[in-house]
Amino acid sequence: MFSLFPVNDYALIAVILGMPLLGAFVNGIWGKRLGDAAVKLMALTAMAVSFLAALVAFVMLADAVGAEKNEHVKLTWMAWEWMHTSGGYGGSSIPIDVKFSIDALSGVMMLIITGVGFLIHLYASSYMEGDPGYARFFAYLNLFVFSMLVLVLADNLPLLFVGWEGVGLCSYLLIGFWYENAANAAAGKKAFIANRIGDFGLLCGMFLLAHYTDSLDWNGIAHGARNLILPGEAFRVYVWPLGNGQYTGLLHFLQPAHPLTVSAATAVGLALLLGCTGKSAQIPLYVWLPDAMAGPTPVSALIHAATMVTAGIYLICRLSFVFVLSPFVMMVIAIVGASTALLAATIAVVQNDIKKVLAYSTVSQLGFMFLGVGVGAFTAGFFHVFTHAFFKACLFLGAGSVIHAMHARIHDDVDAQDIRKMGGLRKWLPWTHITFAAATAAIIGLPFTSGFFSKDEILYRAFVDHTVSPVTAAHSFVPPGWIGPLLFWIAVLAATLTSFYMCRVYILTFWGDFKGWTVGRPSLLATQEAEHGGHDDHGHHHDDLTTPGYPPHESAWQMTVPLMVLGLFSLFAGFLNPGFHLLKPENKPMDHWLEPVFKEASEHAVLFGHGNDEAWAEHMEWPLAACGFLAFAIGSALAYYVYVRKNGEPTKRLAEAAPGLYQLVLDKWRVDELYDATVLAAVDSLADTSAVVDRTIVDGILARLTSMIVAASGTVLRALQTGVVQVYAATMVVGIAFIAWFFAAPHASYTLTDSGNDDYVVTAAPGVGYGYRWDSDGDGTPDKPSFGADSTLKLHLAPGKDVTVNLEVKNAFGLVKKAAIHVARPNAPVSQL
Amino acid sequence: MDHPDTPHNAEHAAEQAVETSTHSSPRVPFGATHLGVLAILAGVFALLARSLDGALPMILAAVVAALVPRRHGWSVRGPIALMAALLALFIVKTWPGVVSAGAGGQPPTEAGHLLSWIVFFPIGSAVAVLLLPRDKAELIKGLTLALMLGAFCFTLPLLGVTMGRGYHFNENVAWIPAFGIHYHLAIDGVTLWLVLLTTFITPIATYASFGSIETRTKEWCFSLLMLEGGMLGAFLSLDLFLFYVFWELMLIPMYVMIGVWGGTNRIKSAIKFFLYTMFGSVLMLLAILYLAYSYARVTGAPSFDYFDLQRLLLPQHVQVLLFAAFTLAFVIKVPMFPVHTWLPDAHTEAPTAGSIILAAVMLKMGTYGYLRFSMGLFPEAAMQWAPNLAGVAVLGGIIYGALCAWKQEDVKRLIAYSSVAHLGYVMLGLFAMTQASLEGSILQMVNHGISTGMLFLLFGVIYDRRHTRHIDEFGGLTKPMPVYAALFVVATLASVGLPGTNGFIGEFMVITGTFASNKLGRFNGVQAAGGAIGVILGAVYMLMVVQKMFFGPVTKKENANLRDINARELVAVAPLVMMIFVIGLFPNIFLSRIGGAAARVQDDFDARVVANPAPAYYAGPIRLLPARPEAPKTMPELTAIATAAKEAP
Repeated sequence: MFSLFPVNDYALIAVILGMPLLGAFVNGIWGKRLGDAAVKLMALTAMAVSFLAALVAFVMLADAVGAEKNEHVKLTWMAWEWMHTSGGYGGSSIPIDVKFSIDALSGVMMLIITGVGFLIHLYASSYMEGDPGYARFFAYLNLFVFSMLVLVLADNLPLLFVGWEGVGLCSYLLIGFWYENAANAAAGKKAFIANRIGDFGLLCGMFLLAHYTDSLDWNGIAHGARNLILPGEAFRVYVWPLGNGQYTGLLHFLQPAHPLTVSAATAVGLALLLGCTGKSAQIPLYVWLPDAMAGPTPVSALIHAATMVTAGIYLICRLSFVFVLSPFVMMVIAIVGASTALLAATIAVVQNDIKKVLAYSTVSQLGFMFLGVGVGAFTAGFFHVFTHAFFKACLFLGAGSVIHAMHARIHDDVDAQDIRKMGGLRKWLPWTHITFAAATAAIIGLPFTSGFFSKDEILYRAFVDHTVSPVTAAHSFVPPGWIGPLLFWIAVLAATLTSFYMCRVYILTFWGDFKGWTVGRPSLLATQEAEHGGHDDHGHHHDDLTTPGYPPHESAWQMTVPLMVLGLFSLFAGFLNPGFHLLKPENKPMDHWLEPVFKEASEHAVLFGHGNDEAWAEHMEWPLAACGFLAFAIGSALAYYVYVRKNGEPTKRLAEAAPGLYQLVLDKWRVDELYDATVLAAVDSLADTSAVVDRTIVDGILARLTSMIVAASGTVLRALQTGVVQVYAATMVVGIAFIAWFFAAPHASYTLTDSGNDDYVVTAAPGVGYGYRWDSDGDGTPDKPSFGADSTLKLHLAPGKDVTVNLEVKNAFGLVKKAAIHVARPNAPVSQL
Repeated sequence: MDHPDTPHNAEHAAEQAVETSTHSSPRVPFGATHLGVLAILAGVFALLARSLDGALPMILAAVVAALVPRRHGWSVRGPIALMAALLALFIVKTWPGVVSAGAGGQPPTEAGHLLSWIVFFPIGSAVAVLLLPRDKAELIKGLTLALMLGAFCFTLPLLGVTMGRGYHFNENVAWIPAFGIHYHLAIDGVTLWLVLLTTFITPIATYASFGSIETRTKEWCFSLLMLEGGMLGAFLSLDLFLFYVFWELMLIPMYVMIGVWGGTNRIKSAIKFFLYTMFGSVLMLLAILYLAYSYARVTGAPSFDYFDLQRLLLPQHVQVLLFAAFTLAFVIKVPMFPVHTWLPDAHTEAPTAGSIILAAVMLKMGTYGYLRFSMGLFPEAAMQWAPNLAGVAVLGGIIYGALCAWKQEDVKRLIAYSSVAHLGYVMLGLFAMTQASLEGSILQMVNHGISTGMLFLLFGVIYDRRHTRHIDEFGGLTKPMPVYAALFVVATLASVGLPGTNGFIGEFMVITGTFASNKLGRFNGVQAAGGAIGVILGAVYMLMVVQKMFFGPVTKKENANLRDINARELVAVAPLVMMIFVIGLFPNIFLSRIGGAAARVQDDFDARVVANPAPAYYAGPIRLLPARPEAPKTMPELTAIATAAKEAP
């Protein structure tokens, strides 16, 4: 089976990666000439072939894993040597190759990307029909899939970074896909820059890893990871004072009594974490993701829900053995995750744009994943990535189908996505409705759907697990005992809100009465108008929504089939990892499959308190699971009560009772405004200052002031050239006086020459009538009492010795000048290496 | 030959073309005629390449590249196909480890006067151009371009040599023996790519300029050729006097180019450019004279030869002064904060070709000079000042330059400030002095030449159409000029260092190499992190430009009907696009030729600073150290060897 593609030269990876790249290239360059049908064919073929190849690779991987008795098997393919860099104080060279590998973790990711990617391509082939940028869209989408595959299949960190930035670029291009709307382009830029802030962290993480672990590929980092927690000053990173510098003088108050240092593991972890928060839209860098919904809906489904945004969690899982070395970083990850989950959920509750709700829901769900990996439950966190890919893609595509239907009459983008204009759509969009319902069931944690299992496991592990440092040195950090329960309750609250707002969206969209336009048999005039306008004529055509029109229509099969597949997976994918501790690991296929990947990391994850008591953990399982179930039950029941029984009245009253709070939440807690007013304003004013300083001070002093000085001295000197002979004569007299004084005074100048063999010669400068007196041993008493004509002095000096010679010069007028000459033998001569 | 272009086929093709062109602007129909020509072209390449290893990649590259242009005919497809084929050949032939040992295991012989040809071919060409009649503008342009391509061909044999640690194509002739002045040229891994960059980018800039330069064509071509010769001479000279001659020689054509063909404030900018550079050069000349004098004091006879002067061990306080004189000349040229303000003025007023050459090559003279002369001649002084200078490179270059760039409203000024930021990386890498940071720096010099050269070239395209540099005058340009917009975005991405493009390799190696450095005191970490912050700022200002120029609705009616990029501009920009990706994907082709020289530079440096460590710097009299192992044999030594060989039998 491995004869064609050996494990160590697994060239099938070239096909998996190459097909989407080929698709991107062909569609990007020739798409316009080929026509939409050929573009569709190329894009879908590329994805299908890539998916099939990925499937073959996955099966072969499973086969190899079975043969190796569940060891950490990798299928690797080395394309070419890329570059190299220096590590360990410049001493060693670290090769960086274009090398890919498939292991259990990247294998699953690869299947999600190509599989869900294919479905979304299929969906988009109908959704984007008639758009003038059809070819460009598929070129970008294929390029995205290629970059995402590079990201997960890369065997080293810099190559991962290629994919990491590549997906960021595609995201940028696709958010700004309808670039003629300036707001879309601005949203794209915001996403790119937020991601770049994260990339700064990733770059810092890379050079720290290169330095401390002396490697940048996965195996090498794993091998050298222990260096990150070695005791000793060399393995600590100085945070303050910067570079362990000394502040003196005015800045002395900045000098701390003890320098603030962190262990290398913590520094690496925090740096990488910054990168992950950027890509996975976590606090503090989550603000770009909701704006990213400006892109076409299939993009939101593929990039901003199913794949790209999970890259941060993938990286944490990939480098789990590095992250666990610092319990502090792990705790930060968990706290970031839990707070993001809650914050985003609160915002999602009040949004009215269907895509915005789903966007915040994505941020919130990513928070759950962070929480999972942060407490050391890597499999649980990753399993949520897996299930989320299905149900969130399904939700977004369903939303796209709804928007598609709404667009038939409502051409304004904002109105077409407003859930207050929808309602009752289950009558006309049966497939969309049923799949949306399935995905909603999964995300809110209806028992035995996929989301139920994955979320429940995260909640449970958050309560009982934490990580400890493998070294018990004085500086290792132990998270406080109350942190687990706190994270658990935050997460339960977020889960309750999740089930509330998801039910709200579902009910408002599909139940009740349709509020978009009057449904009925359209008059002839309106029909003509509608046909004339066409639904892709964005935003230019406004018809009167009160006139009767055809009801919203269900989408084409290219759009409903992906919905059905994803809906099925949303319901049943959970059984790949039913999260009950009662079950043996063998009955949890995902756990078993990923075990070799997380083996090293999971050794560090231990249970909280109670002496690492397994029995206690098992005892806690049912109460905690009940809490998870209650979160689902309370949230959905409340939504049912409010929006079905009371028709939304209670929320209106609540909003009227506290208008300030309502507006604040509706404005997303005004975090964007906060950033604008603080960080952005600070950098902006710094840039303004720099530009002004550059124009006025730097250029002003160096160019204008210099030229002014030159011009001014010209003016002064010109004034001296008066032409009055008396002035010239006076100047001459003064000059002659100076020269006379110079000759009258003695000058003790000398030169020192190294004549080899440790001999030095000091030669005093000659002068009219000069006499010299030497003191060759520097004791203060001259060698000879009288001044002689001997102007040179020879010295013999042993290596490393030095001597001070005194020289006295007397001239014809009897004036004496002294000089002290320090002669030092240099260090051992420089050898030729 | 069976020609596929039968009437029936042609008709069919025309039908197809009509069918597919229903919803886009009219374009060249892609029919059977073209396929026929393509087949012939492919055949020619097959014949040409049959004897070569790279036949298949060449043909493939040529065919794909020929199909890429959408609206242009064979005047564009042909050159682009040819370039792609040559590039494929370049990749195959220069792949690390491929450079063969030549026939019979012998290293390939180094042609005797190749470097002299490289330097004096452009200068001789310049003189030849002077002899042409003034009114034959087209002839002058064509000939100039041909001569520049010839100069490029002269530099290609350099790739066939295994560079390693040493110097190659050594030419050393006494020029003014009384003063120890030699005509000494040699090339090593440091200058290899800079020389190739010069001969590569000059024809591109020249070709691109032919669309906009309409007056004094003869003088224009003369200046360009002289400039090229001067730059090549400065890179290749290893005699300080000769270096100084070329250094000043290249200053004058650029001064003339800005002053004659520049914008409205051209005279002021030209004088500013000249005075700044001159100020530094004069100090450097004094330092050079002092060095030669010191050499005479030790040996009895003066010498301006680099390898002689490299042997001088001067007391630290003298070294620091000389280092300062040299370094000031170089950092003005780079330019580094605070002597950078001539650059935005010079760029804004210079004609497009002037900006391209200034950014791509002339600025590298400063970074190269620092590497070769400041660090090579005064290692202890360079070591003493490296941490502080690196701080200036990070704060004043990478961060301050980027912040200033962000706030510019003139696009050319903005690109000029981005150069200040990018060259901050180059200087940081030089100060850090690790294998990776040096290689990254040298590669980044080339990268900056290509990506910033491309940005200036592309901006020249829109400047020729709109005659304004103000960023708010543009907006929504993607609509009228889609191809142009795509190319500009590619240049932007290279400039911000997106992985897969050339910019990433340089920045990554410099930043990681800087962190591994032990020559920056305790500040290596802070400086590496500062370099990484530049990655964010770079994206901020470049994306701002892209967004304001290309996205959003078309705000000005002048922009609504602009012509997209034309054939000339496309052909000029194509090689730069290709190089962006070649360097980004296959940097080892370049790094493998730089590595040896970078290691040698470090070893030379370390040998000195390890023997004279801080703070007990050398303070004794001037000494003469043994020659470095890689230094080429001097003339007397060579003569001695020759005589010994003659007398042997």
